Amino acid sequence: MNKNVSVFSLFIGLLGLATLASGLADILVWAGADPGFSIGILEIAGDDFFRWAWGGAIVAFGGLFMLAGLKNTDDLQQSATVLLGAAMVWIIAGTDIFARFCESVPAGEEAPEFFNSLSGFLAGFAPPYPPAILLLPFTLVVAYVLFTRRFDEAEPPSTADFPNRL
Amino acid sequence: MKEQSNNTTTILMVGNPNVGKSALFNRLTGANAVVSNYPGTTVDYTAGTLIEDHRTYEIIDVPGTYSLKPRDAAEMVAVRMLDEHRDATVLVVLDATKIERGLYLALEVFERGIPCIVALNMTDAAHDKQIAVDAAGLQRILGVPVIATTAISGEGVKHLADMIRKAQAADISAIRSRLNGQEQNRRSMAGCGGCSGCGGCR
Amino acid sequence: MGLTADERWDIIDAITQRTVGTGTYRRTLGDALGDLTIQPLTGIPVALGVLYAFWSIFGSFAGSLVTDGFMVKLFDSSWLPWLQAAWPNPDSILYYLFVGDPAADNCFEAFGALTSGLFVAIGVVLPAVLIFYLMMTVLEDSGYLPRLAVLMDTVLHKIGLHGYAIVPAILGLGCNVPAVTATRILETRKQRFIMMSLLAIFIPCGAQLGVMLEVIPETVGLVMLYLIIGFGIFGFVLDRLIPGSNPEILIDVPPYRWPAWENVTRKLWSRTKGFLKEAVPFVLLGVLIVNVLYLTGVIAALADLFAPLFVTWFGVPKETVGPLVAGFLRKDLAVAQLSTIAMTPYQMITSVVLVSIYFPCVATFVVMLREGWRELLAAIAVLIAVVFIYGGLIHAIGILMGVA
Repeated sequence: MNKNVSVFSLFIGLLGLATLASGLADILVWAGADPGFSIGILEIAGDDFFRWAWGGAIVAFGGLFMLAGLKNTDDLQQSATVLLGAAMVWIIAGTDIFARFCESVPAGEEAPEFFNSLSGFLAGFAPPYPPAILLLPFTLVVAYVLFTRRFDEAEPPSTADFPNRL
Repeated sequence: MKEQSNNTTTILMVGNPNVGKSALFNRLTGANAVVSNYPGTTVDYTAGTLIEDHRTYEIIDVPGTYSLKPRDAAEMVAVRMLDEHRDATVLVVLDATKIERGLYLALEVFERGIPCIVALNMTDAAHDKQIAVDAAGLQRILGVPVIATTAISGEGVKHLADMIRKAQAADISAIRSRLNGQEQNRRSMAGCGGCSGCGGCR
Repeated sequence: MGLTADERWDIIDAITQRTVGTGTYRRTLGDALGDLTIQPLTGIPVALGVLYAFWSIFGSFAGSLVTDGFMVKLFDSSWLPWLQAAWPNPDSILYYLFVGDPAADNCFEAFGALTSGLFVAIGVVLPAVLIFYLMMTVLEDSGYLPRLAVLMDTVLHKIGLHGYAIVPAILGLGCNVPAVTATRILETRKQRFIMMSLLAIFIPCGAQLGVMLEVIPETVGLVMLYLIIGFGIFGFVLDRLIPGSNPEILIDVPPYRWPAWENVTRKLWSRTKGFLKEAVPFVLLGVLIVNVLYLTGVIAALADLFAPLFVTWFGVPKETVGPLVAGFLRKDLAVAQLSTIAMTPYQMITSVVLVSIYFPCVATFVVMLREGWRELLAAIAVLIAVVFIYGGLIHAIGILMGVA
């Protein structure tokens, strides 16, 4: 058990660092350090304030929360902090995926028909992805572990005293 | 609601804020609810109708209040509504997880001598929080029907609608003597068909 | 009647002793999360995240999916050509009023009641309002909104409001009409007045934001910053000028719960219906009235009348008066027309800022009137003062920087 916890902590720690770094990278690219950063399937376009400066700050905070909750992950409060950090990443990844969905459903402006073809629709979800989407699977693992873990044994509700439940 | 037809009863839903009153209201009434602005104030209230067992009830969702000694605009409206509908039935909504606070309001309503029925709402949340409330016991002590409900899932709502017609005025001194362990002679309420709903005839 | 509070509590104690049983309470992950979203250190980033999600989903759904994806195409390539062909006699007054410019190839620039009016009402505003209210309802029913109110309470008390003022403030970014109605959650007349004035002046509505994005995309951030600062400063000043109290309120924070689908759809329906009834007729009517005013030369006369003021005090060209007057009825018209007037970039920024802090649209005007005419008159007075001070200030800064 102890070993599992430390492996899990290490995982959260690395994930937190990666998240913090990608959040900061979002902001830096937006601020003009590099016009449109891209490696493999990772891309930081950095072209608008809302998505990259504001959104980047959310990702960075997510990383900070994960790191803040790193110590003693058995504790409920700490686990909640880590979970909150993961949720911050979900916000950005979720809205990114939703944005792609909304852009892929209609056909383009020039096309005569209203709805996109299936292949055109799927193409909307092709890589490259922003860092938040790449981080998403890892944060889901964290959430899964936290949700399935039991913090302490509690007594079942003491309704037996009152036999007249509806 | 000013000119009531003979077979329409007005039901005022009274309770603390955030006890799931609106959710319960939505469960009870159909899609015909109307949001209105209480005249001369900034407070909105909702009214709708419930037809149950050939009776029509006009249900008014009174703004949430902690007591009948009003401290803000919403509470003021709650008190005024109780004053205006003297012949109404009051549905007191209690949050099973915070029952003390709700009972305070319930007692204030009981003191007015209006026919009452109690919905013990949020029983699911109470269960999650390891709180168990004895609805039947509560009914025995208060002498008015107490129905456990979970408005979010709709549990107990049908039963509540059935029981509205069995609402009756609570008697504070009887509540006190029951609490002191004195079992009074239970007299049947007038017009009671032996339903076991009220606790008055057990 | 006549129990004292203590007697009631005694009875309650006795009742609960007999009927309530509690097990050992186990704090859940949900409770811990709930606490984290209220503590400022973690709560403020979360609030930023929630607002981000709010606006991102809003933009994706209303902008990309419905309006740009379907409505623009539907209106521009089907509705407009059909109407232009079907309506008899392009030179008639009725054609001008209802269809607008016969040469227009999109509904945004045609300016007829059935072209621009209908497009704005159904193609742009309706999807925006729908998704806006959906998210608002989810935030409300999940229990996040009270937490946000608690978080903002301290800050908002400094400008004479309380935590729940965040609700009309967020709503106002979508449309001022429901926002004015939402000021009802504030307690005193003073608070409601402050909130309404600030809403009308400093919170740009969706249409106003659209104006800015269209005309000055690169400086929107800056303009928003000025507006937020203005919100704070004028709130602070109004709080001290206006008599009345600013009571503390009890904010009841319910536990987080999944919103019940039926509740959400029902609220969504009643709110959207309310909006359709209150705001849409004004959009259509507004377009019609502006067209009539143009036809009868009223707007040109007003432009001449106010020209000296605009040219010397605000430093913008005389031609901007028309769009600014018309903006009272149709903010979308103001954008399109402003963008066609030859101006220096700085004049452009000035006129856009003027459009945004300048009087709210006629629909907002009407709902404010419904809340009380004295408040409305006072709000207008505040507004005129603010427009003068702010407009002059921007011009002065421009002169100092040598760009005006």
